Amino acid sequence: MVVEVAAEPLERSEPRLTTLVAIVAAFAALGYVLRFLAYQQAVWNADIWNFPHGFCRWDCVWYVRLAQTGYDPFPVPHGIDAGNWAFFPLFPMIVGALYKLTGWPPIDIAVAVSILLSGLAALVAWPLLKHNLRAFTLYAAFLLCGPFSMYFTSFFTEVLFVLLTNCVMLAARRSNYLTAGTGAALLSATRIVGVFGVFIVAVQFLVDYARRGGSVAGLPRELWRRPDIVLAVLIAPLGAFAYMLFLHFYMGDALAFQHVQRAWGRVVGNPFDYLWLALTEPPRNGGWLSSGQWLALSAIGGLVATAVLAWKRHYAEAVFCLFCIVVPMAAGMASMLRFVAALSPIVLLAAGYLARWWPLFLATLLVLVATDYFFALGWIEGWLALV
Amino acid sequence: MSEAIAQRPVWRGAVLAAAAAVAAVELYTAWLALHPQVGKDYRAYYIDHTTTCLDKPVSNRYALGSTISFLPENWRGAKALWVCGWDGPAGDGAHSVGTSSRLHFGIAPPASGLRLRLYLTAIAAAGQRVVVTTGDGRPLGTARIPAGASQVVDVPVPADAVVPGDGLDVIVAYPDAVRMMPHDSDTHLRAVMLTAVQLRRPGDLPSSGPLDDPKLRQYEPGPGGPLRQKPA
Repeated sequence: MVVEVAAEPLERSEPRLTTLVAIVAAFAALGYVLRFLAYQQAVWNADIWNFPHGFCRWDCVWYVRLAQTGYDPFPVPHGIDAGNWAFFPLFPMIVGALYKLTGWPPIDIAVAVSILLSGLAALVAWPLLKHNLRAFTLYAAFLLCGPFSMYFTSFFTEVLFVLLTNCVMLAARRSNYLTAGTGAALLSATRIVGVFGVFIVAVQFLVDYARRGGSVAGLPRELWRRPDIVLAVLIAPLGAFAYMLFLHFYMGDALAFQHVQRAWGRVVGNPFDYLWLALTEPPRNGGWLSSGQWLALSAIGGLVATAVLAWKRHYAEAVFCLFCIVVPMAAGMASMLRFVAALSPIVLLAAGYLARWWPLFLATLLVLVATDYFFALGWIEGWLALV
Repeated sequence: MSEAIAQRPVWRGAVLAAAAAVAAVELYTAWLALHPQVGKDYRAYYIDHTTTCLDKPVSNRYALGSTISFLPENWRGAKALWVCGWDGPAGDGAHSVGTSSRLHFGIAPPASGLRLRLYLTAIAAAGQRVVVTTGDGRPLGTARIPAGASQVVDVPVPADAVVPGDGLDVIVAYPDAVRMMPHDSDTHLRAVMLTAVQLRRPGDLPSSGPLDDPKLRQYEPGPGGPLRQKPA
């Protein structure tokens, strides 16, 4: 599907392909070196061989175990309450399959695959960025050499989520709804919020239908005439449903990924209550902002960018982002920075704006590269806002 | 799929059939999701939320009369006894989490009744009522611990509370457990810290605290609280 959605523009501008790949490869190499330098700065006895393992923090550790040993049975081994059912299967399955084939350490495989997928995500974004080389450069730098590159180059599902989001957006913008629906199905097997990919498909169809002069009254007739639209929308959450079926037959609870949140103390509440609580959390240890404030500001930033998407009439992507931000907020602000950083429509929008003027482009590029090092340091030293 | 292809009768039929099949699978999965087939412990903790302590099968062997420290210096020994509802252990003991905690003693049925001794400290935020029962809910005793205070809680355990082939399950419940943060889950309520436990027969010496644990022989109380290693 990546090939299908990306092929046309890349073929049309073939001389550019080597340039694009060179940009991606350069940022992949530079990002790896910068993160390794940060690792060397922060860790005693750091070397290039233990770097992928040492850089693997928080959920990354869960994903490594998931790729190695699969889903936990119930009761969970080692006497803990939290099984690994909350982690959606597609990316760990890919790494797990390669691990079974090669026997190499899962984290090494995951790092290699993540960097490859990040590069692919950048290439798929080329037409989404309207073939703007400066915007492409910023986007590639963001993924591979930016402040949040740890999510896209270690072992987190965010990288596959970003790639598939780009594929779905591209297919939907080309009115190829069935391909978009298939991509959304994979998206929904990647992260729980992937089910909201259905909105990219459905809303984009409605936007296209309205642009063609379609009316509300004529919609049922149009859907009867085009059953592929209905199929695309029904397929979109199929990945999540497949995982639910697996969980039911594996351990008897199709909603185990949701129910297990109790073991992490997640309580469903008013998302804006959580936002306010985080925003008013006082900083400690002399910091500028508390972790909660960073998380709240990232959510607010994401919501503002979502409003800009809607204002720019990217309604399908705006609805997708809105759900991907607000629904997780209902269980608290944890990981919000990661969730917003993995929202492609927002990042692509920002890359487009920041690439408009040379000085702004250069300044942004410098900030991205510099913050890669400093955020990697924060990551290793346990800065909670990045978790 | 292009619009023209989508409208061909053969394709339309195939697409409609595929859509119906996908919808059927999704409806079936949704029905399964509403009817989980899980055990009572899983249901109570994850689905019905009637407990904050997820009971798990454990078979911990315990020598009657021995003291088990719940300080970090003996975290392996502590974790061998606890089933659920504990966190840590930290420097001030294992922290209770939720509205109850469980301990399991893998012992054979005794000839006569036993006594359970718990070294507990209430959290500084609020005084705590502690209700001790057997795993099947038979009351063993209660205690009231003032905020921040430490207390030795001794309760009698009838001989027939020990299940042959399994052992003794003890539930320590905290009706006054408190939220430390406004949106804390009930699984994160706090009540007490446990520093040591002992289950003894009538003739055994009562435990005098965590330092009675043989695993802590090389430690002594340090200044201000935490243990420190005895000089060689």
